[in-house]
Amino acid sequence: MLEYISSLAIPVVVCIAGVFMLSHKKPYFESFIEGARDGLRTAVGILPTLIALMIAINMLNASGITDLLAAAISPAAARLGIPSELIPLLITRPISGSASTAAYSSLLERYGADSFVGLCASVIMGSSDTMLYVIGVYFSSVGIKKSRYAIPCAVAVMLFCVFFSCLLCRIWFK
Amino acid sequence: MLGKIFGIISILSLFCGIILGHGAELGNAVLDGAHGAVSLTISLCGIMSLWCGIMKVFERAGLINKLSRLLSPLLKVFFPEASRSGEGLGEISANISANLLGIGNAATPFALKAMEKLQKNNKNKKTATADMITLAVLNTASLNLIPTTIFALRRAAGSESPYSVIIPIWICSLSCSALSLLLCSAMRSVSKKGARGDKNA
Repeated sequence: MLEYISSLAIPVVVCIAGVFMLSHKKPYFESFIEGARDGLRTAVGILPTLIALMIAINMLNASGITDLLAAAISPAAARLGIPSELIPLLITRPISGSASTAAYSSLLERYGADSFVGLCASVIMGSSDTMLYVIGVYFSSVGIKKSRYAIPCAVAVMLFCVFFSCLLCRIWFK
Repeated sequence: MLGKIFGIISILSLFCGIILGHGAELGNAVLDGAHGAVSLTISLCGIMSLWCGIMKVFERAGLINKLSRLLSPLLKVFFPEASRSGEGLGEISANISANLLGIGNAATPFALKAMEKLQKNNKNKKTATADMITLAVLNTASLNLIPTTIFALRRAAGSESPYSVIIPIWICSLSCSALSLLLCSAMRSVSKKGARGDKNA
């Protein structure tokens, strides 16, 4: 039931946009085209970055380092209920959006989108953002040098996010 | 930044790959990576275009404005300096509304505008104010009602139920946002007390 409702989320939003277009008050379809063109430009624009990072992540996985690292942290991670396969995502998520998208998609390919690892990765991906990048850009844009307690707080929220995502998936997808 | 990441990862992978005896896989990994990035873009660009187009319609219809007006009473609690001076609160709620609707491209400019306004009333221009920190930390916990990228990537990876993660994502991102607001409010009062203590000493 919930599954059914949530799968209607996107169609409903699309339909609301359709209602606006019918109202004829403003050239809404032209706005749609304008926005869609921007979206397409963004998606294609990040491709070169994505190619570099996807190759890097794939090499990391193939070299066996990922498995080695995963094996190293797995006892500690297992105690917190965090699958150690998530390592490439956890390393890249705070730093870069493209890198974590690459890591996320390679996780889905490797373990399957509906596996426990894939579900945890999806929830982490959906409820966190590129922490260091955000803090860096926001503060440097107005010339702030001392960010005080910003990074400790953001790290705490990120750690909670990882832990809570895995816990939630364990309960939700039983 | 990304150059450093790429450099470190590729050197590390080559050395460890050879030592660990996975040298042969590395060659294929590069080819698959290049191919994977292109197919990733193909699976993303349709839904990204659609979503950006729809959000442009909503933007033009004034939905961001309405949502941010709804949010602003709540935000006054967590951004006391901005609400006292009246400077920046509008941009902050526009930033959060854009995040909620999943328009990341619009959210960042609003946030940077808000930082600019908050900086105006900042006495020490090199040090972040409490409101600035709250805004930044809140933005690191993404609050997004419909995470389209995730659905698209899950579907592309062959998921039968790409939407099944939506409610866990809502719960988790709401909790993370609440936690970041609480932590920042707590730290705000702690550091205020610390500052007062310094003066007394």
